[in-house]
Amino acid sequence: MDAPYIGRLLNILDYALSSLRRKLLKNFGVFTVFSVVIFLFSSFQLTSRALTEIARQTLTTAPDITVQQMSAGRQSSIPLAAKEQLAAIFGIKKIDARIWGYYFDESNGANYTVIGMDTMPDHAPGSPWPGLSEGRLPTAGETGKAVISAEMRRQLQLGERKFFSLFRPDLSLASFETVGIFSKDSDLVTADLILMTMGDARNLFAIPDGLATDLLVQVGNPLEIDTITGKIRDKLAGVRVITRAQIQKTYEVVFSWRSGLGTICLLTALVSFVILAWDKASGLSQSELREVGILKILGWQTGDIMLLRFFESATVALFAFLTGWLLAWVHVGYFAGALFRPIFLGWSVLRPDLAMVPPLVFSDVLLVFSISVLPYLCATAVPAWRAAVVRADSVL
Amino acid sequence: MTAIRPAFWALLAFGSLLLLGGMLFTNIAERRSAQTQLISHGQRVVADLALSDLALTSEARYTRHPAITDAVVVGMDHPGGLDHFPSTLFFAPVR
Repeated sequence: MDAPYIGRLLNILDYALSSLRRKLLKNFGVFTVFSVVIFLFSSFQLTSRALTEIARQTLTTAPDITVQQMSAGRQSSIPLAAKEQLAAIFGIKKIDARIWGYYFDESNGANYTVIGMDTMPDHAPGSPWPGLSEGRLPTAGETGKAVISAEMRRQLQLGERKFFSLFRPDLSLASFETVGIFSKDSDLVTADLILMTMGDARNLFAIPDGLATDLLVQVGNPLEIDTITGKIRDKLAGVRVITRAQIQKTYEVVFSWRSGLGTICLLTALVSFVILAWDKASGLSQSELREVGILKILGWQTGDIMLLRFFESATVALFAFLTGWLLAWVHVGYFAGALFRPIFLGWSVLRPDLAMVPPLVFSDVLLVFSISVLPYLCATAVPAWRAAVVRADSVL
Repeated sequence: MTAIRPAFWALLAFGSLLLLGGMLFTNIAERRSAQTQLISHGQRVVADLALSDLALTSEARYTRHPAITDAVVVGMDHPGGLDHFPSTLFFAPVR
């Protein structure tokens, strides 16, 4: 590429920028609307990307296999006797029964997730379990002790008090003492959790002895998970077996689907903008036609005028793209996607303290660029060509 | 003295935006490393309590635990009841 060619391009760019400055108000309007459209697109995509990433990474330690009993297409309690049946399968390292369920608090409209476990997590003696910010875990055999999150303590309006009560199905009250508070750092998985012993959970939900909500199977060799899953299905009739891989896949599907549909909704905004850009570019005023005529008389070719219009559109598009895209990163990275949180989090009363820092993925950038900048450049190309082929003697 | 050409100012503005972006991503990278610590903390809690889902939204049981509750949720709460929660608006059927 020789110097005169670059000099010519720079001269046309200079002229394009001067032309943009002459129509500052109109171009600034287009720039602002375009930036907002790109900001919305990118924010939605980054929010979705961040949540998918958080789910994928956090749930890498989810149970190998979860076994649930199904009855008439719905989940029902599983007999503890199933544990003995599964214990015979070679490759299974450990089976834990668990009771868990939901408790709807009518006083504040919140849904709590109650988990009852017999085997509490191991931790070094003398030091607290790292998932807690204060207190301790209930110990086996204890009754009426629970661990809750800080957000739940606030919702229950406990203040400094330690005791709270929940209704059993027969509307009698079960009283619990808060012996520990989950750490804020684990809010993403514990924001609505009440952890208690299995006996307490059984008492709260009135689940008879000998039944549990599900069985958690730990497998010695992760490569054997699918084989063992098949064996479990053969041994227990009517069970649903969920593997860790399926759990992770669910989240990918959920968020990517949401992101896809959100993008389709936002496409309306983009199409409106492209129509606006087409309209602005094709509605040539008399002075613009005169300008083209004068340039042609001065020796500009049709290609030069096309290049001039392309530089004008590309300048607006690239500045709008960078501005909108960077603002989206600020929105998601620093304000946790405040505009789209209601869509992703819904009407929940208990909301985790969410910090989202999405990864920079090239395909995401390319996608936003392709569905915003390229349509804009195409929308302005045809009007630019129509303006460029105007005969000088017909407009002067 | 020759006047500075408009292309220079445009390239300068574009470069400044790129620089701003670079600074932003440097800070984002630091925040990501802080998030990695949070995630490893979350992994420990998930492993110890055998959790299967994120507590992002607790408005309905199938949004709280999309991974381990019934795959078909429409009509789950009430015969013919539509799935009306905002966070499930865009749920895809999991295959």
